[in-house]
Amino acid sequence: MQQSDTVRDAIQRFEYLRGQGTLLNLVAFGRVLKEAGIQTSLGRMIDAARALEFVNIGSRSDFHIALRSNLVSRKEEISLFDRVFDSFWQEAHLPELPSRLPQGFEQPRRGFSVDSSSVTLISDDTSRPDPLGSFAYSPVEVLSKKDFGQMKFEDSAAIRRAILLLARKMATRIGRRRKPDGKAEEIDLRRTMRRNLKYGGDIIEFQSRRRRLKKAHIVLLCDVSGSMECYSRFLIQFMFGLQNELWGVDTFVFSTSLSRITSLIRTKAIAAALEKVSQQALGWSGGTNIGRSLQTFNRDFAPALVDHRTIIIVISDGWECGDLNLLEQEMKMLKRRCSKMLWLNPLLGDKNYEPLCKGMQIVLPYLDYFLPAHNVESLVNLARTLEQVAT
Amino acid sequence: MSARFSWNQRNAGGHRPPLQQIGRTCFASRGTILLLKGQFKLTIEEIQHALEQRRYICDRSLATVIFLSMTMGKPVLLEGEAGVGKTEVAKVLADVLNTTLIRLQCYEGLDSSTALYEWNYAKQMLRIKQNEGRRGTDAMVEPQIFTEEYLIRRPLLEAIQRDGEIPPVLLIDEIDRADVEFEAFLLEILSDFQITIPELGTIRAQKRPYVVLTSNRTREIHDALKRRCLYHWIEYPSFEKEYAIVTAKVPEIQGFLVKQICSLVQRLRLMDFYKRPGVAETLDWASALVAMNRHELSKEAIEDTLGCIFKYKEDIERFHTEIADKTLDLDPILSPDATV
Repeated sequence: MQQSDTVRDAIQRFEYLRGQGTLLNLVAFGRVLKEAGIQTSLGRMIDAARALEFVNIGSRSDFHIALRSNLVSRKEEISLFDRVFDSFWQEAHLPELPSRLPQGFEQPRRGFSVDSSSVTLISDDTSRPDPLGSFAYSPVEVLSKKDFGQMKFEDSAAIRRAILLLARKMATRIGRRRKPDGKAEEIDLRRTMRRNLKYGGDIIEFQSRRRRLKKAHIVLLCDVSGSMECYSRFLIQFMFGLQNELWGVDTFVFSTSLSRITSLIRTKAIAAALEKVSQQALGWSGGTNIGRSLQTFNRDFAPALVDHRTIIIVISDGWECGDLNLLEQEMKMLKRRCSKMLWLNPLLGDKNYEPLCKGMQIVLPYLDYFLPAHNVESLVNLARTLEQVAT
Repeated sequence: MSARFSWNQRNAGGHRPPLQQIGRTCFASRGTILLLKGQFKLTIEEIQHALEQRRYICDRSLATVIFLSMTMGKPVLLEGEAGVGKTEVAKVLADVLNTTLIRLQCYEGLDSSTALYEWNYAKQMLRIKQNEGRRGTDAMVEPQIFTEEYLIRRPLLEAIQRDGEIPPVLLIDEIDRADVEFEAFLLEILSDFQITIPELGTIRAQKRPYVVLTSNRTREIHDALKRRCLYHWIEYPSFEKEYAIVTAKVPEIQGFLVKQICSLVQRLRLMDFYKRPGVAETLDWASALVAMNRHELSKEAIEDTLGCIFKYKEDIERFHTEIADKTLDLDPILSPDATV
């Protein structure tokens, strides 16, 4: 359903609340915002209502800002809020809202358009035994060697579950790592003072403290273009699992252009999240322009997101349709900023595969690790590699 | 409205006369408003005007958010591209209110002993030594050395403990650089404005400080923290606004040069650079040109000062290619009868 329709529908649905004073109007507005995809909470609504006491609500712009500063808390939501605000607080007519999806772009029927039958919710499914716990002896083992590309629909629910659990396990392993003992340590002055009070000012027992190891920061860039379609379905699940368990993961998808989906897939509700992803990831399953996507990343996100501790993971088959020079230039730029660069290529799982395509050849010199990502087993390998890298 | 507040222009820049109290408001030099009791009574227009007096040009929406923050006692979270003047808001605000600015620069690994308080261990140690040998003092030492005298106040404690007519402005800069643990810790302070020191007890703010948080969006701030703040995104300024900013901040500059600079910068922002020039870059550039005694832009002048606008070698190269490819045409901007 198009965004504008959703808003219009919601406005009509809450029509009964309107015209009965500002407060009820505000409540209705909150509902409409929620339908449009902006999370409102009771606390925020109360604050928004309070804010209206202080501004002159005769002035549309003050009224607008008073609501917006309370109800919106990220830049991406501002334009959506403004559109909803305009259509809601203008009773006469509803302007045609530009849809989020470009013209002629159909909701993908396969993949992540969530027909809920194809997505299994792990969290809802506690009765089943832990597939990863009995990894080696279960049918999952067979599946774990099976190429994602050849996977049938019946396999996919099991494999998704396995992937999510793997991501979760991997995340806790990386996240909990600490610096080993026996290194020189910092003196904890506060505790030393306390401990030595009884000696009357002589420091006899030293108390030390150890800094916790910095957690690795990971940026995932996942190719969702046509050639990757059969793989990216599974890989997104993996990204989802990893990101939700491990703090400090940022996730992007790209095909012809790049979009950041970190906040979209932050929620635990995977089905809803995936639907949002497919709605927002423009050009899902189209051609690939890795160079341009990396350029966008380098320009808009890298200065803030990437530092010398960041591990970049690109998941792509390297079929570049765009400018190869640009690709090389952007890879060079990115490599200079980050700590380690990993490239996962699903095609690498094929024994006969050699990275001959031009895009792949160009990026190879800039990679620290070049790994397969075609089945669950290869993801387990990735977990091992990451553990080494993340120390 | 205007009775509550007026500008005392005569004393601008001069020495400060003793405060003179009229009703609930009193006047100090440079148009400073002091609030004696109760809530802040500046209107949105007055805030906007006061900021402009201090050469901070802002649009009404930002003034509204500041106004709401003062009336509701809610912190402001400012986000925006680098160099659009997020930190400046807090500085100017402190000046408007004639109060102290307490700044906490965030970084990864920032912890409570650098943000909140620390005991002065060396001093404590000396005190213990001093007491050594005196009969019966051993048991007395502990209560003596854990007193305010031995406490080193860090920004957050400072902001909470500061008592004065007007609470201080607390600037928590680049909160996205701090780690999540610190964010959680901040949450507690920003909701209750109190701090517990085990040895001393709980310290509560007499008046809530005005809190401004800034973020460069290197990561998303947690929702729990965002929920406690008013959110505002600062955009790159429009041509008119940028013109006003440059004229206000670099008063020696000539109008025509400002026009040229601003139109070029506005044009550059539409293009793909790794680091698009912010307002800070525009101002740097303007000052550089003034220092070089330039009254108008020329290709050579631009070439000599490219370092003010671009911070990456790749961006400078890009700029040159764009000019060589004629995708960026400087002539309309440089021509003496340029119209924007």
